Amino acid sequence: MSNVNNNTRYQNPEVFEQLAIEYAVGSMQGRAKKRFEALMDTHFYLRAVVDAYENKFANLVELLPDAQPSNQVWKNIESHIQASNTNTVEERSPWWQTNFFKQGFGISAMALVVSAVLLLNPMTVTPTTYAAVLESDSNVAMAVTKIKKSDMTLSVDIMKKVHVADNMELTLWCHPKGGGMPMKMGVISKTGKTNIKISKKEWQNMKDVGLLAISIEHKGNNTSMMKPNGKILLKGQLSTAGL
Amino acid sequence: MEDIYAELLQKTAQGDQLAFKKLYEETSPKLMSLCLRLMRTEALAEDVLQEGFIKVWEKADSFTPGKGRALTWMSTVIRNKGLDKLRSLKTKAAETEIQYEGLEFASTDLQPDNLEDLSQDVKGLMACLDKLKPDQRECILLSYYYGHTHQELSQKMGKPLGTIKAWIRRGLEDIRPCLT
Repeated sequence: MSNVNNNTRYQNPEVFEQLAIEYAVGSMQGRAKKRFEALMDTHFYLRAVVDAYENKFANLVELLPDAQPSNQVWKNIESHIQASNTNTVEERSPWWQTNFFKQGFGISAMALVVSAVLLLNPMTVTPTTYAAVLESDSNVAMAVTKIKKSDMTLSVDIMKKVHVADNMELTLWCHPKGGGMPMKMGVISKTGKTNIKISKKEWQNMKDVGLLAISIEHKGNNTSMMKPNGKILLKGQLSTAGL
Repeated sequence: MEDIYAELLQKTAQGDQLAFKKLYEETSPKLMSLCLRLMRTEALAEDVLQEGFIKVWEKADSFTPGKGRALTWMSTVIRNKGLDKLRSLKTKAAETEIQYEGLEFASTDLQPDNLEDLSQDVKGLMACLDKLKPDQRECILLSYYYGHTHQELSQKMGKPLGTIKAWIRRGLEDIRPCLT
């Protein structure tokens, strides 16, 4: 019961926005900070709000006077990259070249595993693509959105002309199924296709997304917004398109 | 204002080491300055800068240009590295030599020459911070730049712990509407 109350409490913008700003500035400490970090892992809108405030405060770095690090720092970074590149090449020899597959056992074993997964437990198969058709208020299909794991890209294809004033722009939002703050995905071109790279965390969050929406916002005021300020022009339900 | 580092960071995400080197050359002086304030010693600051840039290299694909600027994304990554390190060091004996103090660089009376180079984002943030009482502003900036705990701020400013907590909480409440 207290867990339910806690969850509701953290969906109250008055509560979580204050916690998020305290976290972002660094004034949240100790157990409170650990508790909040655990909550951020389960409620992605908390993470989104913290990200937005962290971005705001991170501008303070501009005010600092320059300080030159020693040359050794870059040398160490470079060595680390070279070493990890070498390891990656060694570790990632193609799976079909492993001895297991060369000996001919691999294909039949893999077929068995795939069949077992599909037949015995189809509900646990992870989707590889999500899609949504975004419609206007008058239920006219205006845009198609696809989110693909293969290239970690979210694409929005505007199929019909959307009327937007020159000083305005379109912003895409993902709304969680269980309610709460949306996750801002970025600015969308008024015509044609827009591709937005997504992070692993954002991909994982897609399973909890219900509605996609495109709002119309004032240009230039976009990086700081945590929820749509303008009118929602298009919306549609996100669903699994590929397993 | 155009995000001058976004392209370099996006190329870094594609594994372009030359772009990453240029990004390091351009941004490391500001980020080193942040690390020095958080970590207090040059050796620790360089450790954090190094670990932070390795994380930038590994996680560059998480940067989304529409959600913020490249420099702010990088400084968040590096500052969080520094705070983690600071937290682990504070459990041991305090071995830090306080070398970097003060907030002169964030003064409200910046010269026009300095203001010219600043982005609209930081000017907006400074305008929000300027609405606070000087003590509240100082506490928030010291928390951000130096990673001071409430207890440390209480000692540093010679005020009771409860007062410091209230200053920060109310200060953040007050600037929230300005930030969003």
